[in-house]
Amino acid sequence: MNTTLRLIAGTVLAGAGSLAMAQAVGVSWSNFQEERWKTDEKAIKEQLAKLGATYVSADAGGSPEKQLADIDGLIAKGAKALIILAMDKDAIVPALAKAKAKNIPVVAYDRLIEAPGVFYITFDNKEVGRMQARAVFAAKPKGNYVMIKGSPTDPNADFLRAGQQEVIDAAVKKGDIRIVGEEYTEGWKPEAAQKNMEQILTKNANKVDAVVASNDGMAGGVVAALSARGLKGVPVSGQDGDFAALNRVALGTQTVSVWKDSRDLGREAATAAVSLANGKPVAGSAKWSEGAKKLPMDAMFLKAVPVTRANLDVPIKAGHIPKDVACKGVDKTTAPDACK
Amino acid sequence: MLKRLQINPLDLRLAIMAGVLTVMAVAFHVLTGNFLTPENLYNIAQQTAVVGIIATAMALIIVARQIDLSVGSAMGVIGVLIAFLMYTHGWHWVPACLAGLALALIIGLYQGWLTAYLGVPSFVVTLGGLMSFRGAAFLVADGKTQPITDATFLLLGGGLDGSLGPTWSWVLGIVMAAALVWMTVARRRSASAHGVALRPLGFDIAITAAFALLALVFVATMNAYQLADKGVGQGVPVPVLIWGVVVVGVSFLVNRTRFGRYVYAIGGNPEASLLVGIPVKRVLLKLFLLLGVLTTVAAIVAVSRLNAGTNSLGANQELYVIAAAVIGGVALSGGSGTVLGTVLGALIIQFLESGLLLLDVAIGWRMVIIGQVLIVAVVFDVLYRRATGERM
Repeated sequence: MNTTLRLIAGTVLAGAGSLAMAQAVGVSWSNFQEERWKTDEKAIKEQLAKLGATYVSADAGGSPEKQLADIDGLIAKGAKALIILAMDKDAIVPALAKAKAKNIPVVAYDRLIEAPGVFYITFDNKEVGRMQARAVFAAKPKGNYVMIKGSPTDPNADFLRAGQQEVIDAAVKKGDIRIVGEEYTEGWKPEAAQKNMEQILTKNANKVDAVVASNDGMAGGVVAALSARGLKGVPVSGQDGDFAALNRVALGTQTVSVWKDSRDLGREAATAAVSLANGKPVAGSAKWSEGAKKLPMDAMFLKAVPVTRANLDVPIKAGHIPKDVACKGVDKTTAPDACK
Repeated sequence: MLKRLQINPLDLRLAIMAGVLTVMAVAFHVLTGNFLTPENLYNIAQQTAVVGIIATAMALIIVARQIDLSVGSAMGVIGVLIAFLMYTHGWHWVPACLAGLALALIIGLYQGWLTAYLGVPSFVVTLGGLMSFRGAAFLVADGKTQPITDATFLLLGGGLDGSLGPTWSWVLGIVMAAALVWMTVARRRSASAHGVALRPLGFDIAITAAFALLALVFVATMNAYQLADKGVGQGVPVPVLIWGVVVVGVSFLVNRTRFGRYVYAIGGNPEASLLVGIPVKRVLLKLFLLLGVLTTVAAIVAVSRLNAGTNSLGANQELYVIAAAVIGGVALSGGSGTVLGTVLGALIIQFLESGLLLLDVAIGWRMVIIGQVLIVAVVFDVLYRRATGERM
């Protein structure tokens, strides 16, 4: 609902913008090799076209040095606003000075760039953590919980964990929930998560009632560890809307996969960039200062969608995953509605 | 004393390592209370299999004065390819695995040819492979996880039904014990036929009995692990069986074939080997192909164990494989090392990992400790070689 409103606002703004003049928006990608950014790019391009702006881009190929040169190049090409997916949140700062001198607004895309005047847009990772814990908590309000966290070197892992704690904290204090295992997972690797889960099961003589895993890959490892012990019906959470995970949701071996629709992110970022280029405030933005430096910034946090059995049709209808892939191997009689 | 019992430094080293393993197991058990349970030992046996399978071939590569840093990435791309063909293209698992094997052999040919025939250092060739194959693992399925549901294929990775069951496990254990006895008898007979001094009979009996007993105790332990609603024990897990077959097979290659002798000769002195007419290049190429075959086997077990092929499959695995070989007494300077040593080396690493996990040691400390243990092992290695006069 909220998104729709924002979209309408965006379109209205767009009308005004396109009347004024065609804007060029420069997008600096950190490393385009990763598949997911292709989805983002498509969304940004489409939205810019809708708003009457043009798209120029550069790909740093994973090099923070090249990204600095890229941004110079984008400014030289006449970009009136920049969307930056920073390879390195600190190394990018010199590029911002140039943009600031030319009065070019900067949108930090998905990764925080903590500098004055930057507009930060991302999914709310704490909220993702809350959604994961909420879905698992709804399925198992009492019992032994295992927390499978992300990589120890990724700050997002701790944001997620903090969000999860907010949901179950009261029940933990009351003694309804006992956290019997909690492990970071080197490099978010499914195999590492599987090994950790096996050790936790051993340690607790298989008495585990629920697992809050921070992403879908690790959830896969957890489910493999559980099924190797013949443990069924243990709620498991995840994140990313991986095809394999959505299929597990359909099969009932995973409870929830929190899906961040990167098309939303691309769309909103494009809208924000055009608004800022026209000197207008961004609809739906908020003040935020919870970065490492506690710098007050304008930011927008998009809501992810927790996909469970009940709303498995959402990613299918959105064209994120074909129905036959999501429902592969699902038994007709116990299938969720989305697969019927 | 050692001489009279005919214990050479290699055997003694293995015995010391087995002792270290025992001490570790007991220490962890005292500290955690659940290390020496059938369940945990069953887990560890399974968790070690993937690293252990590749480590047998890695040992030979290192013995021949080469290295392969790309095994983890190669395992990733092979595993993802197999899973991709099965999941996205609906192939049966057998042709899918053969396709994976074909890819592995192409990789082996490419890297082996560059190393053996062009003389590019294998460190560089495989460092390139480490990056390229990881990228290729991503490209195969666009980075998407490829889940696997084929029940037969999943047996290969262990899991709920992926074990031999009590009866067959006992058969296996008894066959192993019988083979050990037969080997001792055959050795004694051929030694006396050739007039070589025999080991004292009592000592031979004691050693053989100890190993046979170990095999039977292992089987009994695996059989004692029961899943709640199954009623019968699990028995020897399939990945461990595969690992065992690989160890026996590679040991046979090392001890009983010309190829094996050549590998050690090349590692001992490449120039001399060339001068006495050993086809050094061909042997090196074959070594890389052998590694390719075993990488495929490991990839199949890993994919099956995880029930999925993921693009991160096998990341950093090369470090564990090399560490297992080195802790197992393979000299990085070449020419010396045993296959059985890699088994113990792989087990030592996994004992540490599991034990520290059970002790709730945080991941940072676990990495610090395991890294230092690697160094301790090599320090021991250097001192031991100095003391026994074994090849440095």
